[in-house]
Amino acid sequence: MVQLGIYPVVEKTAESEFVHRLNQIWETPHTFWGRISTVDHKVIGCRYLVTAMIFMAVGGLEALAMRLQLSRANQSLLTPEAYNQIFTMHGITMIFWYASPILSGFGNYLVPLLIGARDMAFPRVNAFSYWSFLLSGMFLYSSAVIGQAPHGGWFAYTPYTDSIYSPGYGMDFYALALIFLTISTTAGAINFIVTIFGLRAPGMDLSRMPLILYSTLTTSFAIVVSLPALTVACLFLELDRRWGTHFFAIDRGGNPLLWQQLFWFFGHPWVYVVFLPATGMISMLLPVFARRPIVGYNFVAVSTVMTGLIGFSVWIHHMFAVGMSHMSMTFFSAASMTISVFTAIQVFAWIATLIKGRPIFTASLHFALGFIALLVVGGLNGIITAVIPVDWQLTDTYFVVAHLHYVLVGANVFPVFAAFYYWLPKITGRRMNETLGKLGFWIMFVGFNLAFFPMHMVGLLGMPRRVYTYPPGLGWEGLNATSTVGAMILGLGILVSCWNFLASSRRGVPAGRNPWRADTLEWALESPPAPYGTVHIPTVASLHPLWDDYDEELDPHNERVLDRGRLTVASTWREAKPVGISKMPEDTSSPLLLAISLAVLFSGLVLPRLDIASAGALATFAVMAVWLWPHPEEVHT
Amino acid sequence: MNTEVVERHPAIFHLPPVIDTRRGTGGMMLVIVSEASMFLILFVSYWFLSNGDLRWPSQEPPKLGLALLMLLVLGSSSVILSWGERQIQHARQRAARWAGVLAAALGSMFLVLQAFEYRDHLKTLTPRTNAYGSLFYTITAIHGLHVLTGILLLIYVLLLPDLDPAKPPHRPYYNASMFWHFVDVVWIFIVAILYVVPHLR
Repeated sequence: MVQLGIYPVVEKTAESEFVHRLNQIWETPHTFWGRISTVDHKVIGCRYLVTAMIFMAVGGLEALAMRLQLSRANQSLLTPEAYNQIFTMHGITMIFWYASPILSGFGNYLVPLLIGARDMAFPRVNAFSYWSFLLSGMFLYSSAVIGQAPHGGWFAYTPYTDSIYSPGYGMDFYALALIFLTISTTAGAINFIVTIFGLRAPGMDLSRMPLILYSTLTTSFAIVVSLPALTVACLFLELDRRWGTHFFAIDRGGNPLLWQQLFWFFGHPWVYVVFLPATGMISMLLPVFARRPIVGYNFVAVSTVMTGLIGFSVWIHHMFAVGMSHMSMTFFSAASMTISVFTAIQVFAWIATLIKGRPIFTASLHFALGFIALLVVGGLNGIITAVIPVDWQLTDTYFVVAHLHYVLVGANVFPVFAAFYYWLPKITGRRMNETLGKLGFWIMFVGFNLAFFPMHMVGLLGMPRRVYTYPPGLGWEGLNATSTVGAMILGLGILVSCWNFLASSRRGVPAGRNPWRADTLEWALESPPAPYGTVHIPTVASLHPLWDDYDEELDPHNERVLDRGRLTVASTWREAKPVGISKMPEDTSSPLLLAISLAVLFSGLVLPRLDIASAGALATFAVMAVWLWPHPEEVHT
Repeated sequence: MNTEVVERHPAIFHLPPVIDTRRGTGGMMLVIVSEASMFLILFVSYWFLSNGDLRWPSQEPPKLGLALLMLLVLGSSSVILSWGERQIQHARQRAARWAGVLAAALGSMFLVLQAFEYRDHLKTLTPRTNAYGSLFYTITAIHGLHVLTGILLLIYVLLLPDLDPAKPPHRPYYNASMFWHFVDVVWIFIVAILYVVPHLR
């Protein structure tokens, strides 16, 4: 039996010796092999962030191509088929391969640091989530390489997407890439839940959890419960397209509405999946810049959870135009309006925090305020579309495009940039350029409103979504030209900030441990954090560990160093009482191999070549068997 | 405030260290929640395509006999596995392994029975006949794949050198059994919804 960092009181080990030993245990060698086999949550988090930003750049270029096509009437830059593929890929990329993964990136990087753990609960699963996210995205984009990208819109309504009306590989790539991604996302969500409920620092009971943990938990539960609906829907679609079943074929007893029900049962909780972690990040950084604790911590925490719960009962509002009983439509209309109450509670909490505090207007806070402004607009035009008769008029017009971009760009991209300006000093160890940051914000803010506000008007004028061009003389030209100019400006603003991130992370002023004098545990670490996080696992005595006078790392007997292997403290889910020591896995390439096996399996299914698919399935089982086998050295701990 | 937290729970930091074994169980529970959600969605799809009438298949409902026999097979395997879990608790690994072998064998028998059931059923109904057929075979086949996964899990657990719940991979027997019981419960729902209810006329 090995001792787990337990030393007799008399033996005084120097702090530097601990650091040396912990580094030896946790550091991954900077070799090719080390890079592909690392399970460090910080490395994986950064990879998520970079990869998601690349997907955002790709999706952004697709958006600009569409805007150029729509800038004038009867424009012919893109063929109708190319336009269909581009708007579909834009939607899928932004919603599935940017908006959620970017938040997973922040979550991966921050959650273990915020709870004082040394890694996620399942570090290897974490690596697998990343690799399968990356490979599923590459799998999706391989369809574009052969010129047969999905073209049925991001919600792919049947019967338009069945094999008769959408021949070719496009929608098969759609269905299979999404099933592939759901595996990655579900694994990631389970990881977050077990981490937050199992590895919090001693003393961090539920009422002392930073708010981002509430939103990450809510989001993760929403993923675990709602994502299977997407998996099932895509499975039905693929079976219908390739294997002759009749789930959506009305002449054989199927029903195309089944797709819509399943898709939106998943789809609306998903809106909160890409929205709630962003509000969590705002609830973290806004009070820091207002120099006071957030107003109404309990209310914000509860309304986060309530938003997640009620998010499950509003999906029909995507389908008001389908034709349903008045009873169910009224219920879902009411639920859709109720949910805005809980968002409003959070907005009021942020505003009150700003009013009661002494805000410092950093670049990060600029983005946070921009987010609040856009969220309010997006919320209000959302309420307009929750009114059924209005929705009948506006559905499938650019008004809805305006609404969803105000909500998704406003409530995802702006908070993400606020979070970048807030946490990149921790991640890179250098401060970002504030002037450039504020400049970038104003360019983005002006560009965004210029691009999307006119879409309200053009929608009210009756311009439908997803048309590749329009005739002159309908009063749409000026507004569309404005949108195109705005989109270019928005892109420029994003470039300014991205340039800022890249340049400042090389040449910026060293950030030090806590440049913002923030309150949560990650700011007690050096910047960038050491591979092991803290030398002494912290204990927590309040909601604001770094603002109270309690020393989290006080550990006179060096009991919480845990330097005999990759170890961290496990605690109870509610009160975070320590109940044991968790052994963390070593670096391994199994997660990458598993993701590759799955990629082979899905490639086999899309071709469709059953021999390749079977080989992929067998490889999947083989890799899992190797992965799970206990390592000899672990048996003895 | 300072000393309060540290003194409140000092015990685990002293020898002998307590190894936490809950992570894998937590992960398996959430996998089951996700899978349960998937089956629930499949059942709701069944209800949706039936236009609200669960006594749905208009021709003839699926035969009950084999399905009930399969329920008996799977149910008894669950009972045996629960007994095995108790043996693990009392550190009787040999007995637990035999229980696992028996459960995996009964699971395989279930799959053989399902093959027979399919062979008989396919004469009158195929997945391509209509939406009912598509859904019937999809639900039962997905469940069959879960039984197969459960069998592979059990075999894997039986091959492990040590079933001590405190040794990595922690609680292997318990976690695999949990999945097995879940698959068993799903079959109860399948028998009730897909086999029994259509007979209630």
